[in-house]
Amino acid sequence: MAEEILIVAAILIFLGVALSVLRLILGRTVIDRVAAVDTLTVVSISLIALYAHVAGRSIYLDVALVYGVLSFLAVLAIARYLEQGL
Amino acid sequence: MLELFVYLLCGSILVSGILAVSLDSTLAAAVSGGLASLFAAVCYVLLGAPDVAMTEASIGSGLSLLIFLYAIRRTTEKAP
Repeated sequence: MAEEILIVAAILIFLGVALSVLRLILGRTVIDRVAAVDTLTVVSISLIALYAHVAGRSIYLDVALVYGVLSFLAVLAIARYLEQGL
Repeated sequence: MLELFVYLLCGSILVSGILAVSLDSTLAAAVSGGLASLFAAVCYVLLGAPDVAMTEASIGSGLSLLIFLYAIRRTTEKAP
């Protein structure tokens, strides 16, 4: 049972990365691309967490934590830039 | 399964790099460049180097994008 859940999660992450990269390529405005980047960050964090469970190493979860904080900062910086604030 | 993910991430790094060179908007190019290093960080985790991945995520994806945005803002004229 646990194996099937992991495989379904991996397929969903795969689809998420593929569709977000498609949006990044096709995106008409900058806002579309920034939204795609934000989605990709969340999907990447879930991929790292899934791999931490599969590999059985909790040190990978620290990477996911740092990743989440920094991606939030990056999206915040882009938003400030678009609002002429940076 | 792991190799499939590594291949997908390598292809995404390639796409992000090509977009960073070929996009017209400077902001979109900077975001694509940051995305390439984001994918590289995930690739490092999957290949078993979490410390390298943490450094890459903090410097490549966070700090360099901030500095790029600051530089773009300081070197272009005031937007209308």
